[in-house]
Amino acid sequence: MKKRSYEKRKQLYGYGFIALWLIGTFIFFIIPIVKSLIYSLSDVNIGNKSMVTSFSGMKNYYNALFSDRKYSSVLWKTLKETLWKTPLIIIFSLFIAVILNNKFKGRTFFRAVFFLPVIIATGPVYSIISGDMADTGNIHAEQFSTLFSNNLVGELLQFLGIYGITEKMNDYIILITDNIFSIVWSSGIQIIIFLAALQNIPTSAREAAEIEGAGAWDFFWKITFPYVSPFILANFIFTVIDAFSNPSNAVMKRIFEIRSDLNFGLAAAMAWIYFAIVFIIISLVSLISRKMIYYENEEV
Amino acid sequence: MTDEEKKYRIKTNISAFFIRFFRYALLIGLSFIILYPIIYMISCSFRERSDMNDPTVMWIPRNFTLDIIKETMQAMNFGETLLNTLVLNIGCCAVQVISCAVTGYGFARFNFRGKKILLAILIFTILVPIQVISLPLYTQFRYFGIKGIFSVNLIDTFACMYLPAMLGNGIRSGLIILIFIQFFKGLPRELEDAACLDGCSPFSTFIRVMLPNAFSFVVTAFLFSVVFYWNDSYVSSTFFTNNQTIGLMLKNLDSQLSIALFNNANVNISPREQIVWMQAGCLISILPLLILYCYLQKYFTESIVSSGIVS
Repeated sequence: MKKRSYEKRKQLYGYGFIALWLIGTFIFFIIPIVKSLIYSLSDVNIGNKSMVTSFSGMKNYYNALFSDRKYSSVLWKTLKETLWKTPLIIIFSLFIAVILNNKFKGRTFFRAVFFLPVIIATGPVYSIISGDMADTGNIHAEQFSTLFSNNLVGELLQFLGIYGITEKMNDYIILITDNIFSIVWSSGIQIIIFLAALQNIPTSAREAAEIEGAGAWDFFWKITFPYVSPFILANFIFTVIDAFSNPSNAVMKRIFEIRSDLNFGLAAAMAWIYFAIVFIIISLVSLISRKMIYYENEEV
Repeated sequence: MTDEEKKYRIKTNISAFFIRFFRYALLIGLSFIILYPIIYMISCSFRERSDMNDPTVMWIPRNFTLDIIKETMQAMNFGETLLNTLVLNIGCCAVQVISCAVTGYGFARFNFRGKKILLAILIFTILVPIQVISLPLYTQFRYFGIKGIFSVNLIDTFACMYLPAMLGNGIRSGLIILIFIQFFKGLPRELEDAACLDGCSPFSTFIRVMLPNAFSFVVTAFLFSVVFYWNDSYVSSTFFTNNQTIGLMLKNLDSQLSIALFNNANVNISPREQIVWMQAGCLISILPLLILYCYLQKYFTESIVSSGIVS
């Protein structure tokens, strides 16, 4: 009897603890999101005291997808870019995390450097930095980027006597080397997450592998990789969302333009289309990968 | 030592050397990519703008000057902006971390009806980007109140940053709450029960027992939150019509500069020369963050890694 009342009281206290968040989420999340859904389905005009909406069905969605050329092309481009860049970011950050997890001289310094983008990379500073590197008429930035964009890798391969590489492969390598800046700069948090995951690998697993005589290669695929696999998914989701909610994202810029023209309904519809696509991609990937992930504790 | 042993030893030595060599080559190269913009920023902010057209100047400016920094500070109205940003950011972050910690604790330590649905909503708040809801949020603040009874205009006041932060819905609050949930789940249950036997109410248990345990964690969450707020220009540009925070100033630095510096038509500045001021603006905006980072770097990197944020 007494126990139940204790449990019950605890339940009440639980509501008490999350009450703040509950109110906040209702006011600043649920209401706006419902409103935005309504906007996307209506003609929106600025009224005297609030927005005046009149229901117009799927018109905004239709216009967004089929009438606004710029939106659909930008959307397609951005999605494609996210799709190829995300795996690269994940592979790169896992690679760096494995290196930074070893003991060597200067590790603290390198860790500090690699986490630095976390501090800067989300803000307007990054858009100035990356803008300067690429499209302003800045002579030094050009010098710097030609360092990578000249077919350096191709020349290296030729120098090594490898000619047979197909054009496509070559293009792909150039794509990577061209984008090394944005890849390195957007993998700060991912490196942190992977590092945290690597530290959680129990020493017993490490010792067992050593006794069995596993080399570094085997160790990575048979021990490191399974332990890290849940975090690959987490990082995937994080990377996609990060790219998606970044204000310098081309789709978001287009939506902002439309909104500045006071076409609120269309802007809301565009945002919802983009969100829906990203949401579908994320859920598909997490569904597929659920089978491949190794969990240390089954209950997780 | 047999021949075979010698051979083996030489072999491992050579491979160890190569691994070390490649590791450093790679790390130094990549560090350069990361540090490049920052070095460039520093180099640009201390040169005269004519140096931008001088092909012999790459890193070290020929004409060293502090004028550019001064002019940019003046254009950005730096003192006032910084103060504004500090009041807005640090205050919001403190409030946000507290509300997130409380919420995280509630989710981690109590069972109540509807918890699963609420957790799903929490995940959803992380997934939905602010851009989707920013317009309704704007109207929400423009006519804040209960429909038909009263409404206040909160746009351009600090309330539109503070209120969401206070109620656990600030910038990326969902992420911070999630981190706190993971952390509080890891603390032993006995702590709570012991406190309960000693006659502590759950709330005072939270303040007296749980929070001190979470101290380093709270600091880390606070740092993250400072970074999120400092770098934000989207949310603040939605709610503020005039430039008030550093992020906003920086975003509009272009127009800001042309108003403050090149107002007379006689000055002709090429886009390349303008880079000097842009970089200087970047430098002074991230300088506070950089100092904070250098100072708390150990906290930031080591505590995140060792606390196992993500399990």
